[in-house]
Amino acid sequence: MLKEIIKSLLPFFMLAALYIVLAMFVTNSYYQLIMTLVIIWAVFGLSWNMLSGYTGLISFGHASFFGLGAFATVLAQVNWGISPWIMLFVSGLIGAASGLLIGMPTFRLRGHYFALSMLAYPIALLYIFQWLGYPELSIPRVLDNPAAYMQFSDGRVYTVIAMILLFVVVVISRIVEKTRFGMALVAIKQNESAAEAAGINTLAWKLKAIALSGAIAGMAGSLYSVVILVITPGSVFGMLTSAQALTVSMFGGAGTLWGPIIGAVFLIPIAETLHAELGNILPGIQGVVYGAAIILLITLAPEGIYWKIRDWLKKPSDEKDAPQENADITIVPESLEYTKRPMPTGDIVLSVKNMSKSFGGLKAVQDVSFDVTRGMILGIIGPNGAGKTTLFNLLNGFQTPSGGEVLVDGVNMVNQKPHVMCRAGIGRTFQIMRPFKRMTIHNNVKVGAYVTAKTEAEAEEIAADALQQVGLSSISEKLAGGLSTKDLRLMELARALAGKPHILLLDETLAGLGSSESKEVVAVIRKLSEGGVTVVIIEHTMQAMVALVDRFLVLDHGEVITEGPPEIVTRDPRVIEAYLGKKWVTDAKN
Amino acid sequence: MLKIENLSAGYSDVSVLHDVSLTVDAGQFISVVGPNGAGKTTLFKTISGTVNCHGGSITFEGEDVLKLAPAERAHLGIAHVPEGRQVFASMTVFENLQMGAHTKKGRAEWDQNLEKIYTWLPVLKDRANQYAGTLSGGEQQMVAIGRGLASSPKLLMLDEPSMGLSPAIADFVFDKLMEIRHDTGLSILLVEQRVAEALQFADHCYVLETGRVVLEGDGETLKADDRVRQAYLGM
Amino acid sequence: MTETQILIESILQLLVTGVLVGALYGLMCVGLAMIFGIMRVINFAQGDFMMIGMYVTYYIFGTLGFNSIFGSLLGPYLAVIAAAPFLFAFGWLIHKFLIGRVTGVASSGLDGEGHYAQLILTLGIALILTNGMMILVGADLVSVRTPLSSEAWTLAPVAEGPILIFFNKARVFAALFSGVVIIGLWFMIQKTWMGKSLRAAADNAEAAIYMGIDVAKAHRFAFAVGTAITAMAGGLLATNLPFTPFVGLEYVIIMYAGVVLGGIGSIIGAFWGGMIIGLIQQLSTLVLPTQLQNATIFLCFLLIVILRPQGLFGRNVERT
Repeated sequence: MLKEIIKSLLPFFMLAALYIVLAMFVTNSYYQLIMTLVIIWAVFGLSWNMLSGYTGLISFGHASFFGLGAFATVLAQVNWGISPWIMLFVSGLIGAASGLLIGMPTFRLRGHYFALSMLAYPIALLYIFQWLGYPELSIPRVLDNPAAYMQFSDGRVYTVIAMILLFVVVVISRIVEKTRFGMALVAIKQNESAAEAAGINTLAWKLKAIALSGAIAGMAGSLYSVVILVITPGSVFGMLTSAQALTVSMFGGAGTLWGPIIGAVFLIPIAETLHAELGNILPGIQGVVYGAAIILLITLAPEGIYWKIRDWLKKPSDEKDAPQENADITIVPESLEYTKRPMPTGDIVLSVKNMSKSFGGLKAVQDVSFDVTRGMILGIIGPNGAGKTTLFNLLNGFQTPSGGEVLVDGVNMVNQKPHVMCRAGIGRTFQIMRPFKRMTIHNNVKVGAYVTAKTEAEAEEIAADALQQVGLSSISEKLAGGLSTKDLRLMELARALAGKPHILLLDETLAGLGSSESKEVVAVIRKLSEGGVTVVIIEHTMQAMVALVDRFLVLDHGEVITEGPPEIVTRDPRVIEAYLGKKWVTDAKN
Repeated sequence: MLKIENLSAGYSDVSVLHDVSLTVDAGQFISVVGPNGAGKTTLFKTISGTVNCHGGSITFEGEDVLKLAPAERAHLGIAHVPEGRQVFASMTVFENLQMGAHTKKGRAEWDQNLEKIYTWLPVLKDRANQYAGTLSGGEQQMVAIGRGLASSPKLLMLDEPSMGLSPAIADFVFDKLMEIRHDTGLSILLVEQRVAEALQFADHCYVLETGRVVLEGDGETLKADDRVRQAYLGM
Repeated sequence: MTETQILIESILQLLVTGVLVGALYGLMCVGLAMIFGIMRVINFAQGDFMMIGMYVTYYIFGTLGFNSIFGSLLGPYLAVIAAAPFLFAFGWLIHKFLIGRVTGVASSGLDGEGHYAQLILTLGIALILTNGMMILVGADLVSVRTPLSSEAWTLAPVAEGPILIFFNKARVFAALFSGVVIIGLWFMIQKTWMGKSLRAAADNAEAAIYMGIDVAKAHRFAFAVGTAITAMAGGLLATNLPFTPFVGLEYVIIMYAGVVLGGIGSIIGAFWGGMIIGLIQQLSTLVLPTQLQNATIFLCFLLIVILRPQGLFGRNVERT
């Protein structure tokens, strides 16, 4: 594991070494400062990336952590003579703690609300620090043993210190990326609901991310104050500071550790050099050029340089869409034979009692009750809008029912969160597929494996096993972005399987598939069932289902209209009416 | 009137429709049936321009539809009543109808159209000042249909008007549609999951599966076709 | 005057100032609501649009001679009206060449539906505007000078009593002006075809296309109107606030706070959101030092957003 991480970071190590060697030749103290600042802003960018890049929750407020770190460092030395060497780490702790404090209330919000609320924290801090009477603070010069106070006459020392910090942060970022931590964050970014359903406790992971992110930002701020010597509330809590973190990351590419580094290396020297060269003649020119560079880049590569280059390099050239099956008339499955296998008669693993849910006046699910015995395949059918998906949402905890109970192995699990339900053994797939597009099939499935896996190796193994069960092993290293509908459905099935569920809820797994494709998927589901998994499957049409399920539950308008084995249900006039309307019934009689 | 030839279409790089050809003549009622995910809605969206066309042609009264921007297509006289109704929830019923009359022709004939719509769908008159989002599903469907009619269309495209409606209300919606068609002689292109209605009223019917037309014929023929009967119910 | 009377007087005075300042904030927020509320475009440059509005008003008033033609009483308000079309055109162009590339249909395939790209793009625009203005006009404080800003009407709410409340004339006019603009805008949105198409495009863009509404154009129009309105608020603010090219930053935050407080998507809500910000800002000085009045705004903002994310006046449209 560690070896792999080090190997994947070799390019970084080489570039970092080269950077340090270059820095050694720089004698002008101003350029030495710029070289240090590039690294510090890269660290700050990585801190932003840790939260916002991986989870997709955009923070405008990273200056809070940065500023607290900076002020803590300076104030500690001014007031108590504590060395920045200590405060560098204390700032990390302060950053982590404030991250938790900010995260706990703010993670209740999403999207724009989250982004804008994060903006309010540094601004409030800015005014508070101004009011506390710190318009400007500078680090006192230490004449006796300055090195103990991180004071060096040679600016290159700071560059080395900053690089060590960057090194540590890069390694941490990569470890996060490669482990369940990063996988969980990326899963949250792509689809928070699906992540919850895959057993990820999203709030816990987000809090860990913001704590780590805050810690890194705090350390960046601490080092910044030492290097820059004078800080003001505006310079560390100001919106431009938050914007800096966001800009370098997005410019380089959010969601990868390379992004902030690329961004900082490009942008910081431009801004600083312009400021130094033209600042006297045209004050503000660096802002204009900086702004123009950002605009130009974002219109050419809206997701940042890194992703642009990567997409460009990895453009699939050899993979054409697999030839579609022939357009013969295939609407009729070859066999409409009803299931011959005996109805499973195990104990009841899932029991739904009087479940109801209404949205405003609309009763989406009304008084639904049914039992599922171990090993059976239950098909829930009904027209669009009959409440099938809502029923699933109630079963796996996305929505709380207005009334009723869900007994899993006899324990009432109603009102539990999705990730708890997942841990209790309820896996689920979604009608609208949300693959994690930039991850391989294997990694997509691995996200689901963390529910039970204790180690990375175990997760790998579970994922490989799940892929094998659905028959995707041969293409497991392909990116999920370009898969066919059938393969995506199978991948989602594998992802749900990786959580080692004993009950699988499948939401329209056959939708959009041709007859032969749907037969393949049906065969996989059948195989799973024989392997001991209990399956509840929602479908819109009956055709493929008749041969698959042991029992049908027919919903219409949120109510169970009938229940029973396929051969009986398909002849029920009420079912026919719900599907095809009265006209069909009268016609059929003639 | 509407002529689609060898159309393939879909999202960014994945095609959902393959080589679909379909015609609607003036005054005809054409329906398209098929399982969920077969590409029925994609077909409609391609005609209206909200899904990219990858190949083939669409002409409406001889004019190349694909050359026009999506918003210009409504002005040709095509009214698209989208899947799931998609009413303007925060606007009143009356304003919804007004939005339907955004086309030049719709504005010119607004007064007559409104009167006709209110005669066919009196519930819209009763609810004129209510927000469309507060209506029941059936009523919203009427709003969506009324909105489509307000544009003085030559062709009405209906995407699953019965979706999420109870059988009784769906029957009512279909009766209304037939009444409107009887009164106006409007051409209708219908996508439906309720095969019975789709087949019964249609002059011609297409069966779409995995993005291809796999079967076509007039309603009576298809209705008698064992494959259709089995596939859609297992009768 | 007793202590109670002093307290009552200062509360009343702060309420009055809060409402007057709040009306102006409200107008700013309405401008942003047109852009952020309706189109969900995170526009960081909104404060700088306001700043541009202030300078355009300043130059129309001074250099173009509105001051000498119409006098210093009427001149500033006419200059604000004259500035609006400039800023409308400015917003239109910015949307056409920049914002339009990362919003709407163009953004559907991007990460976070293009919000990342919008953020960074508008940040770039903000940087250029702030610094570009600094190069062009320098960083000296300027203001649209009107004698009204140092004049006030007084009102004694209790007859013969010692309590006196001041109504700053420039602020009163600015508040009235705001009111008129908002009523006009409300009328435009509620009653005209253009306004209705705009609402339809915001409500359901796909369905709007099926109606034959050019959604991209509707968005551009909304963006331009939003720019012009915020700029007018800036012009009015310029009559009693000396400013530099850096003024935008502080106000962009106030604007977002107001829009979110009022409920994203609600135009009238945004006005009341701005009004509340004005009141909080003024009333907080009763108990807290003046330096903290802006900190109070943001703490109240956080509290309200966390407890009631749909905003004070918003319908609960966006549950997640």
